Amino acid sequence: MWPLRRSKTSAPERRPARPLRVERFGAITELDRPRALVFVDRALARRLGARGSAAWLDPDGDGDVGGAPLSAPLEAHLQLTNRCEVGCQGCYTGATPAGAPREWGAVEWMRAIDALADRGVFHLALGGGESATLPWLGEVAAHARRRGLTPNLTTSGLYGLDGLLPIAHLFGQINVSIDGLGPTYAAVRGIDGFAEADRAIRRLRERKREIGINIVVTRVNFGELDELLAYARRRRLNEVELLRFKPAGRGAAAFAHLTCSDAQHRAFWPLVRRAARRHRVRVRLDCSYTPMLVHHRPPRRLLEELAVYGCTAGDFLIGAKASGALCACSFAPAAEGRPSLDQIGDYWDRPDAFGAFRQWRDPDEPCRSCEYHRLCRGGCKAVSLHLRGDASRPDPECPRVVDHRAAEAGAGRVRLPVVM
Amino acid sequence: MYRPWRRSERGRILATRFGLNPNSSSLGVDVTFLLFGAAALSIVTPVVAALLRLRRPARDHVASPAIEDQRA
Repeated sequence: MWPLRRSKTSAPERRPARPLRVERFGAITELDRPRALVFVDRALARRLGARGSAAWLDPDGDGDVGGAPLSAPLEAHLQLTNRCEVGCQGCYTGATPAGAPREWGAVEWMRAIDALADRGVFHLALGGGESATLPWLGEVAAHARRRGLTPNLTTSGLYGLDGLLPIAHLFGQINVSIDGLGPTYAAVRGIDGFAEADRAIRRLRERKREIGINIVVTRVNFGELDELLAYARRRRLNEVELLRFKPAGRGAAAFAHLTCSDAQHRAFWPLVRRAARRHRVRVRLDCSYTPMLVHHRPPRRLLEELAVYGCTAGDFLIGAKASGALCACSFAPAAEGRPSLDQIGDYWDRPDAFGAFRQWRDPDEPCRSCEYHRLCRGGCKAVSLHLRGDASRPDPECPRVVDHRAAEAGAGRVRLPVVM
Repeated sequence: MYRPWRRSERGRILATRFGLNPNSSSLGVDVTFLLFGAAALSIVTPVVAALLRLRRPARDHVASPAIEDQRA
């Protein structure tokens, strides 16, 4: 369960060693055991064989992770299709059985993977829609392996399993979406699929150790998180990834009744910490949970050393729609000018690339005075965009932002004249 | 004593992101070491540094021109 555990990967999972990727602060390199991306300063990068780059001419940049966007994303999130038969009420892509117009096929995705490999991207996260049903999923994953990228996959587990099992070894990690146990699953997703998803988990786990679950945390399943981590332990899964509910796709309409309450957001990290210790399950938190994490004031240096950041869309990560349109993250609209993923090389270095998603360094209050802002970067811009209409506004669900707005409203009430 | 934050000729590890992120909608981070605190990470970081140094020198992937190329 813990990061240093030796990974029993089968031979086809091996892929060529990635080179050291030079960055302004130094370099990033990849370890297979333990599986990790390691950020090093310039001196260590030189010792590891880096020659340097023009970015190293600025002495102030040495060791300054986050001082400027990376030279390329760490990972790309590819929505290989927007076809899905299930129709979950909170689906953030609004997937349908018909899919999206002008969806890319294997040839286009492999060409884009070549562009990502040329740029030095390390990981792919493949999703949908339901990508497990694509007849060419294995071909794309194998191509990513050949180009030195690690493909990972999210699936609902509700169908496509027979096609997925024979190619499961191609993926670094496969997570199945489980948003509740039994009836809670149906309450969150609007369809009763727990038994089928559980069957998929058991069958995938028979084939592969690196199987986990994704849990979209809502006010409905919040009280069941402990049981969900216990479930992961019973199924001998290697990780649980906890995701915040986002108001995108069909999730926009379901957001008001599914997003966690402010009290739940504040209680989230202590609850997760207790449950992870109790059940000895490795937990990952999605980037949008950083405001709820830093609310409990963990040591900033520790967060830095674990590369715990808030919104790194258009920097550490990028997304691509099923049509190949490049976006800052999966919840963001297509980038201005609608560049496609295979044009990442030309687009990435533009000063206006990804618009508001890269413009987090000069925030409004209460982010301006927050000691964690350099890490949190204003919280989830997808939530700000959907709830405030402006991705550059502070995350409206951040406890600090909630308190700040309450204080402002209170101050406003005091200033109001008394009308007799 | 190993001090990962001390600048030196040997260089230092700035950050380590453990695991793989399968989720195609956001960037997950392994919070295992947040459960155990800085002491646990201070044990693991030198191990990671040793594993890096044991590897053969890697050729570097540079998105921008190398210093030598630019000065030429």
